[in-house]
Parts: sequence; C-alpha cells; structure tokens
Amino acid sequence: MGLLSGLRSLATFASGAPSSRSSRGGGDDELFDDDFQRKLEYLALVSRRVFAGRMRAERRTKKSGSGVEFADHREYQPGDDFRYLDWNVYQRFGRLLLRLYEEEEDLAIYFIVDASGSMAFGDAKKLRYAKKICAALAYVGLANLDRVAIVSTSDKVMDRMQETRGKARIFKVFRFLRELEPAGTTDLGDAMKTFVAQHKRRGLAVLISDLYDPAGFERGINVLRYNKFDPFVVHVVDPSEERPKLFGDVLLYDCETGDEREVTVTAKVLDRFREVYREYLAEVDRFCATRQVPYVRADVNVAFDELILRIFRRGGFLR
Amino acid sequence: MILAGLPFAQLAAIFAVAGAAVVAFYILKLRRRTVAIPFAPLWQRILKDKEATSLFSKLKRLLSLLLQLALLLLLVVALGDPRAAATLIKGRNLVVLVDASASMQATDVAPTRLGAAKDEVKALIRGLGGSDRMLIAQMDAMVTPLGPMSGDTSELERALDEVKPTDARADFPRALRFATDSLRGVDNGEIVVVSDGNLGEAADASGPVHLGDAKLAFVPVGKGRKNVAITEFSVRRYPLDKSRYEVMLEVTNTGPDAEDVELSLLGDGQLVDLTKLRLKAGERLPRFYPSLSGASRTLEAKLQRLDGSRDDLPADDHAYALLPERRRAKVLVVTPGNTYLEAALLLDEYLDVTQMGPREFAARGGLGSGYEVVVFDAVTPAQPPKTNAIYIDPRSPGGAPVKVEQELAQPGFDKIDRKHPTVRFTALDDVNIARGHKLAGEAGDKVVGSSGGAPILIAGARGGSKFVALGFDVRDSDLPLRVAWPLFLLNTINWFTDEDASYLSSFRTGDVWRVPVGAQATEARLKLPGGAEESVPVHEGRAVFLGERAGFYELRPSLGTGAGANGADDAPVTAFAANLLDETESTIAPAAEIRADGKVAGKVEGFHVGVRREIWIYLLLAVALLTAVEWATYHRRITV
Repeated sequence: MGLLSGLRSLATFASGAPSSRSSRGGGDDELFDDDFQRKLEYLALVSRRVFAGRMRAERRTKKSGSGVEFADHREYQPGDDFRYLDWNVYQRFGRLLLRLYEEEEDLAIYFIVDASGSMAFGDAKKLRYAKKICAALAYVGLANLDRVAIVSTSDKVMDRMQETRGKARIFKVFRFLRELEPAGTTDLGDAMKTFVAQHKRRGLAVLISDLYDPAGFERGINVLRYNKFDPFVVHVVDPSEERPKLFGDVLLYDCETGDEREVTVTAKVLDRFREVYREYLAEVDRFCATRQVPYVRADVNVAFDELILRIFRRGGFLR
Repeated sequence: MILAGLPFAQLAAIFAVAGAAVVAFYILKLRRRTVAIPFAPLWQRILKDKEATSLFSKLKRLLSLLLQLALLLLLVVALGDPRAAATLIKGRNLVVLVDASASMQATDVAPTRLGAAKDEVKALIRGLGGSDRMLIAQMDAMVTPLGPMSGDTSELERALDEVKPTDARADFPRALRFATDSLRGVDNGEIVVVSDGNLGEAADASGPVHLGDAKLAFVPVGKGRKNVAITEFSVRRYPLDKSRYEVMLEVTNTGPDAEDVELSLLGDGQLVDLTKLRLKAGERLPRFYPSLSGASRTLEAKLQRLDGSRDDLPADDHAYALLPERRRAKVLVVTPGNTYLEAALLLDEYLDVTQMGPREFAARGGLGSGYEVVVFDAVTPAQPPKTNAIYIDPRSPGGAPVKVEQELAQPGFDKIDRKHPTVRFTALDDVNIARGHKLAGEAGDKVVGSSGGAPILIAGARGGSKFVALGFDVRDSDLPLRVAWPLFLLNTINWFTDEDASYLSSFRTGDVWRVPVGAQATEARLKLPGGAEESVPVHEGRAVFLGERAGFYELRPSLGTGAGANGADDAPVTAFAANLLDETESTIAPAAEIRADGKVAGKVEGFHVGVRREIWIYLLLAVALLTAVEWATYHRRITV
C-alpha cells in the first residue's frame, strides 16, 4: 500500500471518528490533506538524493566516523577529531579531509513541538505550521529508517509519541499531531529537563517552537546541549506579530500568563516594539550561532515545503 | 473693567457647574480596549522606558485637566462680555456723510474718488471701538441714510457698498441738517464728511446750519485738478420755422493749465459739427450754432482732449439735449372770412387748418370735437367747445368763457403780462386799435393784456380746456400787419398743445424735475438712462422726479384708467434729457478744509484699524488657539 492510499484510508477512518473536538489549533482535520501528503513524498525523494550525495558531509556530528564502513570525506572543521583525518589525502593534495563512516546504529530523532498558548495566538497559524514541519521532517526521518519520536511541551512535557521507525508509521505521527491541543504557558527549561530524563538514548532533538519563554529560551536549548543531545532549532515566527494592529489606549494581556498592562500605543511605541522584536530574533540567532546549534527561522508565510528544503540546505538534520 | 453681558454671579454659577462636569468626565476615564498579545516580556522592555517618565505623564494629565478648565474659564468670561469701563462710557455716535456727487467720479485717484472714499470709510468701520456706533449716509442732491445707526461692522460695510455715484451736485447743508438731526440728544456725536470738499457754504434758505454739540471731521479725497467741462448746453427750434433749430453751449476749463480740446456736436448720433478749441486756465468759452437743420431729435455734445487722453472727470465731458417733438396740430377756424387769420396760420407747416363758416360749425354740433384748437373769429358759439379755443372779438351772450362788457374806444395794450407764453417774443405795446370791448373773466383767469385797467386779452381754462379771448377784431387794428400777430397765434396754439416755445431741451441733474404729462395722468413710468424703469408720482399734471443721472429719459404717463402702467401703453411718451452742467461741480480741485457753523472741520481721530475693543472676541480667539494646541498635542500623544 502506497503512502497516499494509506493516508486516504486514514483520512476516511478519521472522518468516521468523532471529530467534534474543538481545536484552538483549528482545522487540523484538513492539515495533512492530499496536497500535503504529495509534497511529503516529494520531500522524501529529495532527501534521499541529498543525504546520498554531496550534502552528507556537511553535518558535523560527534558520531561521524564511529562505524567501520567508509562512507565519504568532508572538510576538516576546527574541533574535529584528528584521528579521523585522512593523512594520505593530505599528503597527495595538501587538503585536510575527514574520513566519514556509516553509522552502525540508526539515528534517534526527537521532535519537540511547543504546544503552549502562544503557539495558538491569533488563528493558531504557528501551531499548524509547526505541525506540518514536524510531520514532514518525521516522514523524512522515517523514510531513512531512523527512529522518530515526538513530544509536545508547554511548561512540561504534555504528550509523547513513542519512538517508531518505518515510513508506514507516518499515520501514527499524523494522528499524534492532529490530536495535539495548545495549552499552558511556556517553560522550555523544565520541559526539556523532563524530556532528557525520559529519553536516555541521545540523538537529534528538533525543537519546533516560537521560543516565547518568559524564563528565557536559552534554558531549554542548553538542557539539550548539556545532556548530549544534538539540538536543532526551528524557530516559528509570525511576521504579523512584529507589526501588531494596535493604536491608542489599550489594555494588553499576555495570552499565556494573563499578565495585564495599560499602554498608550503610538506610532513611536510601535516602532520601538518593532526594534525590540527584531532584537529578540537576532538574540536567538546569535545564541544558536555561538553554540553551533543549527537554527532555522520558519516564517509562517513561507510554504512549508520550501522551508524543509531550506532545512536540508542548512544541514544538521539527519547525518 | 465691567461686564456688559451676563452678571458675575451667573458666570460663577455656570463655571461651577460646567467645571464640575469637566472634572467628573476627567475622573471617569474611558475603559481601555483589551487586546491579547502573544508574549508580554517583549512589551515589558518598552514599558520599562515609559515607566521612567510616569511622573511626567501624570503631570501631563493634570495639565490636560487644567487646560480644559482654562478653556471653560475663557468661554465663561466671554459670556460676560467684559469691557473697559472707559470704552463703554465714551462710545461715539458717528454719522458718516459719503459724498456721491458728480465730482466724486473723478479718476485722479484709483479707481475713482468715490472708490477711495469708500476705502476711507471702510478703514473707519474697521477701526470702530466696541461701543461706537455709526450711520452711513450718501450725500448728493439729497441725503440718503443707507442703514440704521449700528456697531455691526458687516452691516456697515454692506451699507457702504450701496453708495452709488450720481451726476448731481452735493447738497451739503441738507446733509449736515440730516446729520445734526440724527445726532440730536445723543452723546459724543460726530459728523464725518468724506468728500473732495467742493461742497459750498453750509447754509441754505433757512440760514446757516448749526452743528450743536456734534464734532465735525473731514476726510479729504482726491488730488487732481485738470478738467474741461461742458457747463451749458441748450437747444431750441425757431418759433416760426420749427424745422430749424439753434444750439448754445459753453465749455469751461476749470483746471490750472491751458487745454486743447475737440468739441463734437452730434445729431441723432451723426456728427453735425467738430471744433477744436484752446482754453486757458479758468476760461469759459460759449459757442453758438445758429440755423441748424435736419431731422435731428437727439443732440449730444462731446469733449475730448486733443492728445486723446481723458481729463480727471469724464462725467462732464458729455451733454445731452432733445429737440421738442414736432407734431401736426389740428386747428379749426370758424370765421366768416379773415385773410389775416388764414395767412398767419399758413406760416406753420405743422398746423392742419380747417376752415368753416359759423352755420356749418353749428350744423356739425358746435363742439369742435376732433380738433385740438378752435379759433372763433368774430363768432361766438352757442355753447363752449370741448377743446381749446381762441376767441377773437367774442360777443355775449353765448358760449364764450368771458363776459363781454362795454365797448372801449381806441384801447391799447398799456399793461401786458410779458411772462405769459402767449405773448412771448411779441411787442404789443404800440398796437393801434380802433375799437374793442372790455372782457371780464372769472376768478383764476389770467389777464394777459389790458387797456386802462380794462382787460382786452384774457387766458384761462374751462373744464380742462384752455382758452384765450382777444377783446377786439384784429381787422380793427394794425396788429395783423405786425410780426406779433402770427407769433401771438402760434404761441397760443403751442401753449394749448404744450409745444411750448420755452421748452427745456434738458434738465439739470440734482433738481426736482416737473415734466408735463397731461391733466388726466395719475402716475407715470420713467425709463432712466441705464435702461431701468421706475414709477414716478404725478402732481398737477406733471411728473415729479429728482433726477441724478445725466442722459436721455423717457416718461410714459398712465392715464389712470385702472389698468396701471400697462394700460398706458398707448399714452404719448415724453422724452427729455438731463445734464450736470454745473461749473461748481466740474471744478474738481480738492478743498483742503471744509467749514460749517463757523468751525473748520478737524481730522478723524481715535480709529485704530484692526483693533477691536470687544474683549470677548479675543477670548474666543484664545479658546480657538488653545483648542488647536490641545488637538495637536492629543493627536501627537503629547498630552496623554
């Protein structure tokens, strides 16, 4: 049974099931439609070509070269283990190349989807987008026979999908994501602590979040780093949040915490907010760059498949 | 400072109530719109900066309240209409006499002297104090108040716009009397004369004008002096040859320099004569044009400078005249036969003479209907005719309007009423008469000629028809051998038919015109030179009108049939002309001062253009300004 036909039957099954569950994530029944699934197939094909070819060497991981079967060379990067340098090549060509070996064990990929209240802000565009990215990357992972697990977080780990592998398990992924409901405040630090405690097997931890953490987005990422996970940050942003449609005397309240504040919004204030918002984005970017954490900013207005391709190009995902 | 509007207690109450409302509204702040945001800490970063200025914000809010209260206070004080006590007590009452006479049309100042005068008055209006009141009156041949005495500047400016130039001279004494009458019993009265100053003595038939307590001020207008004017213009037909006429006119240079001018005379719009003249300063040059002929009806004299330029006053460079209209009069002569009479009547080709014997006249009813004049020569009708009649040697009893009394031997005209139109241009003193009869008229009849106290020539009217009775047979005298005989006859017929030889070829502007329109007319419509029409009253057979524009007029009498003016369409139209012809008015050199009641008029004082003395206006301006500032600061989020 092909993926599409399988998904269709799943969709039929899903339509028979009670679907009255109101979702602030809104319209998730239509989230993984035929068009979406067609794109997944395409992305899986593209990923196969990418990871089988030149892009493989771009992912630097401590695990590279731990197998016995030679796979490829890649350029030396500061910090790489000298033991894997190919001295013969250096002697012949004067270039420092690193020898890469096939992994002997499959890779564990964890998708950590932020399902806090802020992800459902507005019409839950960010959460829907996060789900799509998660589904697409999960499918690519499953297609590469990697182990894929998904957890949803807010200020704690809310729900989890056990590790699974094989393309056919994508339906489980869809079901999990469809049932994901936004709730709670964001505390990535605590949530990640719970996550690392629950998952002893280290691997790639793809954090899909808007990073609106009052305690600081850094804590969550650092917890992953300190516990030997390879964090990969997909920062979901909605550009409309940069230019909120506010003017005059208003009472602002935080959709997660409910904190209130009286503000008189003027053009000047809006300009200042825009600056602060950009500063915040730059701060995240800077943090990830200095910690060598792969970082992708996911604009909800960009088609998700384009973003997946950008993630592939960026490297750090899979091998 | 006193309050001319609401009293202080009332103002305080209004301020208290409205102020409480303002404060209450200020305290009851509007509920803010609640808006959700995804991540409050981002906003906290901005608000941290704003908190630093929260004290200043509170202060600004307080300032906002104080501003509102200040606005309210200004409005309440404006309601009180505060004024300086001095201005209220010393408010002036002004009567402004704006000269609109012909000389004010001079163009030596742009656009005209009248235009400049209006500008001066406008400046006075704008400089009026809060308690000053003004009345504007147009001064020309009469004086016309253009509105009530008012302090409202827009009303006064509207009144000023109604001042129109005239071609008449200014009646200064009348205007002064009007002004003094208007200011009688009023404090701080002031008469302001805005004029070029050629106003003459401030005295009339009643004596000099007394100004009383009123102050007289003079605003001079004009500076030029150059002017050449037509100061006389007259035309008349010759009595014995009405196809010919003569024109007399006079040109005067009222300016300080010699002038070369071209004088054109136009008949019915066609050039009749063109003369180049050189006039010294102040020279008056009469011109006489005898024996002019042609079918001219309208005559116009025109002056132009040789260099083509116009003098300072173009209004007196034209003069107009109308020749008396010639129409054929139907005359019935009832006579057994009188060659002298027939010959005399033949002299005027415009007489349609019918002759018949007494029997035939009696056979036809004896009333003479259908004729304008009936001449009874040695015939006395049984009853008076219903038309104008000349009775030569009448006999009693009969239809004669006069009684014929005793016979007079060798009478003569030893007493003649030379002003009577029937004897104009005649010399009757030495007429020799063999015999005649004394005539006795009724009260109201005019004895034109008498012999030793016995009337022998009587003129009068019976039943709306005129008559002339001559108490002797002309064949018993040498009168038919004299020029006086046909003149007497034609004068009489002209008097009957209103074709008076003393016809005025033109009227003078500024005079009251009395134009004959016939005894039956009750009203008349007058068409003015500009084409406008207006009704004029008719008194004793004459339309009465004070004319102030030069040019040609047409008068159409209404015969009083109840059809009004439209019912008079078939009534004869009388045309006439009017001219300025006033050397005083043409002398346009502005006067430096004017005098009245033995005093020289002073300068106008106490007018400050652009400064209103009503404080409430400034209070409202302040309110508007503060509101604008508040509006701007609110929208720029400075005060909130």
